[in-house]
Amino acid sequence: MESLSISGIVIRFLLGGSAVVASTIISRKLGSKMGGIFAAFPAVFLAALLTLRLDAKGSELVEKSIVLSQGAVVGMFINIMCAIGAVYFCTKQGWKRGLTQSIAGWFLISIIFAVISGYF
Amino acid sequence: MDRRDLFFRFLFGGSAVVLSYVTAKLLPWKVIGGIFAAFPAVMVVAVMMVGMKKGSKDAAKTAQGSVYGMIGGFICVLTVLFSLQLTQNWWGSFISGLITWFASSLFLVYMRDHKKENRASNIKLEH
Repeated sequence: MESLSISGIVIRFLLGGSAVVASTIISRKLGSKMGGIFAAFPAVFLAALLTLRLDAKGSELVEKSIVLSQGAVVGMFINIMCAIGAVYFCTKQGWKRGLTQSIAGWFLISIIFAVISGYF
Repeated sequence: MDRRDLFFRFLFGGSAVVLSYVTAKLLPWKVIGGIFAAFPAVMVVAVMMVGMKKGSKDAAKTAQGSVYGMIGGFICVLTVLFSLQLTQNWWGSFISGLITWFASSLFLVYMRDHKKENRASNIKLEH
């Protein structure tokens, strides 16, 4: 078990909350599709980068950020699959079941990737 | 626009991202924790809120927009990665990642709409 960082929590809370509010305002003004762009704001990735900056400096910061970004490439790819699944399932089965199924799909793909990449 | 509604959304969105971070850190199984660190919390909350207010059709549209946003996110991560490797400039890479996320997402939505318009006008011309 790792320790939690208060600054990490605050940065994530502010970025996550702001992205949802921006998505809502833009959906109402410019349509749901444009709002959806902000729904996919990479809050988790950017918050993780900002949190790294609080703990490391100089070349150590750059090195840690490169390692984080390499992991995030895979995470983002799985998230694209999840969003495509959400479009398909929300259209076919309604938003409640659709969203649940796409999250289940995201979890399954992530586990499979973790197994394949020899994480265990 | 109702300020209380926006405040509630802010709290809910922020809490979802924090919850995925706390889950990632506190779970004793490192693999599951690592997976939750990449949970698309903002998209899930945004689609859920649109679904609750406007129904499944608009929720699917938000999800469709988020596909472009996620592709933009993928491009953002690649930009940060390559920019860091090439320049070693942390702030420059961070800002260029943000710009490429927004620009590429907008470009994809524009291209998609433009393609649809072209298809619709071609069908009209055929008739």
